[in-house]
Amino acid sequence: MGLTHRPALDRRFWELKGYPFMDLVSPCLNLGTAFFLQGYVEERWAAARYRLAKVDSILREASRRWKVPLARRPAPAAEPLPPEEEARLVGRVLSGRILLLEEVGRALGENGVRVTGELADLLHYLYLQGECELWPAVGYDARGVPKCNRCGQGDKLYRASCGACGSTHCYVCEGCLELGEARTCRALYARPRSERDGLFPCRTVSPVLPFSLTRAQEEAALEAKAFVEEGKSPRCLIWAACGAGKTEVAYGALAAALSRGKEVLYTCPRRETTKEIYRRLQQAFPGVEMTVLHGESGSKYTPAQLVAATTHQVLRCYRRFDLIILDEVDAFPLAGDARLYYGLERSLRAGGQILYMTATPLPELAAQARRRRLPVIYLPARPHGYPLPEPQIILARSLRRPTDQLPRQVAECLRTTILEDRASLLVFVPAVDLVARVVDGLLGCREFEGLGEWVKGCHAALPEREEVLEAFRRGEFPVLVTTTLLERGITLSRLNVMVLFAHHRRIFDQNTLVQIAGRAGRTASFPHGKVWLVADRITPEMAEARRIIRSFNRLAFRRGYLEPTGRR
Amino acid sequence: MGTMGRRDWLFVKGRECFLCRRPVAAGHLCPSCSRTLEMWEQEFRPCRRCGRLLRKEYTAELCPQCQEKLPPFRLARAVGPYRGELRRAILELKYRGRRSLAFPLGYLLSRVVAEEPLYGRPQAVIPVPLSSRRFKERAFNQSALLSEELGRFLGLKVLDRVLVKERHTPPQAGLDRPARLQNLQGSFAVVESSSVEGLDVLLVDDVLTTGITAAACTVALLQGGARSVAVVTVATSLC
Repeated sequence: MGLTHRPALDRRFWELKGYPFMDLVSPCLNLGTAFFLQGYVEERWAAARYRLAKVDSILREASRRWKVPLARRPAPAAEPLPPEEEARLVGRVLSGRILLLEEVGRALGENGVRVTGELADLLHYLYLQGECELWPAVGYDARGVPKCNRCGQGDKLYRASCGACGSTHCYVCEGCLELGEARTCRALYARPRSERDGLFPCRTVSPVLPFSLTRAQEEAALEAKAFVEEGKSPRCLIWAACGAGKTEVAYGALAAALSRGKEVLYTCPRRETTKEIYRRLQQAFPGVEMTVLHGESGSKYTPAQLVAATTHQVLRCYRRFDLIILDEVDAFPLAGDARLYYGLERSLRAGGQILYMTATPLPELAAQARRRRLPVIYLPARPHGYPLPEPQIILARSLRRPTDQLPRQVAECLRTTILEDRASLLVFVPAVDLVARVVDGLLGCREFEGLGEWVKGCHAALPEREEVLEAFRRGEFPVLVTTTLLERGITLSRLNVMVLFAHHRRIFDQNTLVQIAGRAGRTASFPHGKVWLVADRITPEMAEARRIIRSFNRLAFRRGYLEPTGRR
Repeated sequence: MGTMGRRDWLFVKGRECFLCRRPVAAGHLCPSCSRTLEMWEQEFRPCRRCGRLLRKEYTAELCPQCQEKLPPFRLARAVGPYRGELRRAILELKYRGRRSLAFPLGYLLSRVVAEEPLYGRPQAVIPVPLSSRRFKERAFNQSALLSEELGRFLGLKVLDRVLVKERHTPPQAGLDRPARLQNLQGSFAVVESSSVEGLDVLLVDDVLTTGITAAACTVALLQGGARSVAVVTVATSLC
């Protein structure tokens, strides 16, 4: 049993295989419904040991159960099959991908492949040969509940009348709409990458670095390399301190995989980080075929051994990679988004490995690591060899009252930062509307009036956000009030950090606090940056964040990674 | 309409703003979107006939275009100008196919109709149709989705197969007024006259720019026997 959009092709194909006759089950249905009913009927026919006499009764039963009038009728006369060679070329382009029909067309164009045959027929021919898999973009599970076959989710489906298939029950997935419309009546074509599509050659690949790794990095890189070379474990976690240089550690695993001709994916949730990683990978692995995939990238279907991609783009990959390096596994939008994890798992080849990298693993991952179900590579020290700044908790009872007056200790921290440390201060607040209020409150400190416009605010909805950030980086003003928007990805040479209203547990969980604390003390010129948590009480999250940072410092000390001058 | 699992019944999600999806304490719109949607009223007011937006300093009740020649529809109104969140929402719905936006936009349309006494009591909602080719390409008609939701909010029947576009035409966007007029001439027709005969009809579209599409549909509906046609759109242009 199979599905077809043109029965005459199937007839020819099966005639050549030695099957003298073929029946068609009508009426013509949209792909999702047809796929579901095919599965239902086939299951029952298999139970009846594929006896032809049973087909009609099974169809009658299915018609009653699913209220679709199914009936057998003779198939139309055979038509010639599409060119074999062209089908092979299409198959090669599709290798390791899961694409809609028009995406296959784009992929062919991008790879300079021209075909004369109808693309849908070529793909169907591949499907008949068992060379590609075919699903409705939105299908139904065994109970008849609709589900998107691209992102794996069922909670963002919208049912409407469809102009393309004419059905009144055509579902559209809005969960992965940015990749093109996945609908019940649209086909997804998928083909796992395999030897027949050609593999990359085995050769020695080693990263080119403009600096030497520290002992901590070297040891971690060797462990990462061993993880790939031994291949004993399917998953591994690099649990690194913020600013410890975990990307360089991943190069060990990358080089080992590339040397064996494996295809590798380096993926991060955010576009900007992906672009940055791509630049760094290009410098570190100059001879390797590489591509970058994100929403704005021009080419999306170029073959490459090393792919840097945002996690969204991975939804177009199918059984392709032998190694996936997942950076910032806990960052938005990956954290809590099941469809992206679904895409990652599906893009992995059988026997492939995933290397997670983060400073703040999600609770499930941390729990697996604690139970020793997940091997962990620790990288507890920064390259400069100084311990991570530990948060100082400042209890300010006045924060309990609804007042615009900031606690007096805040002014003390400002004095330390601006007058003693000659550093900048990043003040985190839990809500956007607090940014302006805290800026006003800080401007009330008269002693810094001489500095001109010395404090500014920045949040996601601010149109001139980039300009404000750039000015802060340039040191044009010393204090920036912001939301958790800047918890990652900002590095300043002399920086202290303050979290105001740190007792807001929903916003400032332990991972956020560890990331925020990780902004301070990142450079050798100012390794003892200060971290202040200003709150009306010590929350479990604050205590846990402090414990995590302390445990990193203890581990670094035990392993002898800290500089003698850096020890406190 | 989205699918709802057992889990969604047990763990009801917090309210979200219809437009920006930020959490809201009460109502359907967050304060920021409400402000944005109402802010235009400080600067502009609608032309009494075509609903396109006039600066407040402009004293006449009708826009220059309506003074020159009144459109065939009784009146037209919109939720707001074609910019900001509204523009974003229309583009998302129309070109990226985010069909779930039809629900909030339909709600906003229903508010416009309910708050404007000049609409009276329309008896049926009719969407501006797409040509069969465009409908097949896009797979949905955004005006039909909006009509469906509007009809649901107002308790009116939706006649989405009565008015058809018989001829495929290039998109109106990017054309000047004479070219737009030429483009749509004779392209709309009523296929079941009996269903609109004697009805006060509410014509629904996503954007009203020059009003030529709405006028062409109105002419077809009036010729098909409708008593009057009023227009409601999500956004409108500035005069």
